[in-house]
Amino acid sequence: MSAAKRVQQWATFARTWHIFDCKWQDPYQSAEVIKKYLMGLHKPIYHSMNDCGDVVVCINSREIALRGNDWRQRAYFHHTGYPGGATWTLAWEVHNKDPTMIIKKAVYKAMRGNLQRRHTMQRLLIYPGEEIPEDIIQNVSNQIRQLRLVPTRLDHISEEEVKKFPKVMDYPQDYVLK
Amino acid sequence: MAFVRRFTPLLAKTFLNIPINTQGRRIHRWVSPTLIELKYREKKQGGKVINPRNTFLEWNLEAELYAFGKRLNEEFDSDLLLQAFTDRSYVIKEEMKQKEMEFDLKMKDNRELVKEGEKFMEEYIQLYLEAVLPKFPVEGIVGIKNHLMSESVLANISLHLGTKDIILAAEYPVERQILANTFKALVGALLQSSGDEQSGHFVRDFVITQLQGQDVNDYWHIEDPWTMLTDLMSKTGSELEPRLIGEVGKNTLLACYRVGLYLDKKMLSSGFGETVATAKEMAAREALKKIFATEENMYPINFKLNGIPKSTSDLRYKISAN
Amino acid sequence: MSNKNMFMKSAFVRAPLQNGVGRYVCQLQRIVLKFCKSHGGSRGIRDFIEQDLVDFAKQNASVVVYLKPRRHRGPVLVAEYLNGDRVWMNVQNKTHSEITKWMEVLRTQQGDISGARLRKYQYTDYPSVQGPWTPFTFKDPELNVATLPDPKFGANNRLSISATEKLRLMFEKQAISEKDVKTGE
Repeated sequence: MSAAKRVQQWATFARTWHIFDCKWQDPYQSAEVIKKYLMGLHKPIYHSMNDCGDVVVCINSREIALRGNDWRQRAYFHHTGYPGGATWTLAWEVHNKDPTMIIKKAVYKAMRGNLQRRHTMQRLLIYPGEEIPEDIIQNVSNQIRQLRLVPTRLDHISEEEVKKFPKVMDYPQDYVLK
Repeated sequence: MAFVRRFTPLLAKTFLNIPINTQGRRIHRWVSPTLIELKYREKKQGGKVINPRNTFLEWNLEAELYAFGKRLNEEFDSDLLLQAFTDRSYVIKEEMKQKEMEFDLKMKDNRELVKEGEKFMEEYIQLYLEAVLPKFPVEGIVGIKNHLMSESVLANISLHLGTKDIILAAEYPVERQILANTFKALVGALLQSSGDEQSGHFVRDFVITQLQGQDVNDYWHIEDPWTMLTDLMSKTGSELEPRLIGEVGKNTLLACYRVGLYLDKKMLSSGFGETVATAKEMAAREALKKIFATEENMYPINFKLNGIPKSTSDLRYKISAN
Repeated sequence: MSNKNMFMKSAFVRAPLQNGVGRYVCQLQRIVLKFCKSHGGSRGIRDFIEQDLVDFAKQNASVVVYLKPRRHRGPVLVAEYLNGDRVWMNVQNKTHSEITKWMEVLRTQQGDISGARLRKYQYTDYPSVQGPWTPFTFKDPELNVATLPDPKFGANNRLSISATEKLRLMFEKQAISEKDVKTGE
């Protein structure tokens, strides 16, 4: 194989590192998107025997937002294998124990039916906050867009923007707000 | 038990994909033992015996030679054709046999035809490649020519034209060197029978078409593409700038870098690599390919040029002349 | 797609020695017709030899035709090709027209097709003209100099426009700018 063909193949099968900010995102909805990148379904060269999956680094997994009453009602099942070893743990309990677990289980569930999911899950790195090891953040070269809108906090909007925004009416200067 | 007996065909169908009731569709159970026994006996007798085709009952050398000429769509002089297929080793063997039998049958061998053919092929291939790859330097053309004239390529062509049964040589199976020489002798014979143009078309249709699908740059190894490129660019006085335009997985074993070469702020080429240095070297090679008009998506080589192309070697670029 | 038959070799569609690129060379080198002069099973091949063989040989001067009459043996066609393959075909009890058609098949083949299974029915030397895909092909070059994570690349940009934003844009559109104002001079 000539050098040109060799480097072409190296480039085509290169493994990209993506980063995904889980802040205020639904883990089960995001898991569908994350699993695509992990399996390599976003590439035109995809084949299940090709080992073309990418690495995804999830940050702020502590900040995820489950739908509706899920924090109180969704329970995760675990069985140790021994008799009497069945446990049903609620989502808030799981999250308190390990903030990376919910998103991990969500991605695992999204890959149901895929025989390679245990191998693919090794390529998913989850961090509860913003702190990521130096060598990992240096590898990252692409960001996956979030699915849900993250609304800006009112006190995070800059002053000039507040002044510029059109107003229909304004309180008089000496009005006292209770 | 009755359940198992009743449903065995169904079960068998689910586990094995072989239909139960069709006859003779699978490999019979006596085939394998028979083949094993045959191979054992063959080995005992010292290996498989392949008889040369000309020892068969149904063999007619004249007919074979006639058909050979017709197959290639060429008019050969029959004596010359026979001479082209006669190898020196065969002539020596025949002479030794005839000494015992005491009669003299002069058989010409193909050495002069080989020389003539080789000379013609070298010149023609050089001219053709120069005509078809106008911007490729002389060193590259010579590299391709050496590849096309190499023993392996010519022996392969010769084999697929059906010469291995017709060649008259001392040993069977015929060696690759003899096959290659026979091809050159054929070109020589055609030169004498039909002339330059026909021989040129013959060489074009069988030898030069071997370049179809091959990357022409493979036959010329450039040691340092970066210095070559900078030398070329220094004459025109343009600014050459390499830049890192993409990297993937920097700290991993599978790191991939992409380096782009910019000529006067405009992108000339880009190259990938495992390290930045490799990527820069590949980018330089791509740039050289662009300059020589031999990139991967270049216009395909024209295999239909007629006649003997004219020489343009004075207009051609020589790298070593610098 | 998968290698179901473990014993049959797999091959791609190829022409030996770039056959059509230069001139076309008929791949059939020689054909041997072995038949019996009296047995009934050779009737078809005997009819073929009497009526159509000479025309066949004349039209295909590049094929050497051998006839081998053998007593008490079944009729057989043995075709030898330029790539060395030998195809043995039993023509016992075949009619004259069938044998003509089989001769045509043998003449136009490239070798022994039962030797390997075709993986694909097409072949190309140049599968891509624009160049193969790499992760860099459709990548935004601004990502090269960005420090990730960056909300510019991370936030959702496909959401539909909100009512507040629509109102704000309507307001800006209808605002009177400096150049629209005509000052009395």
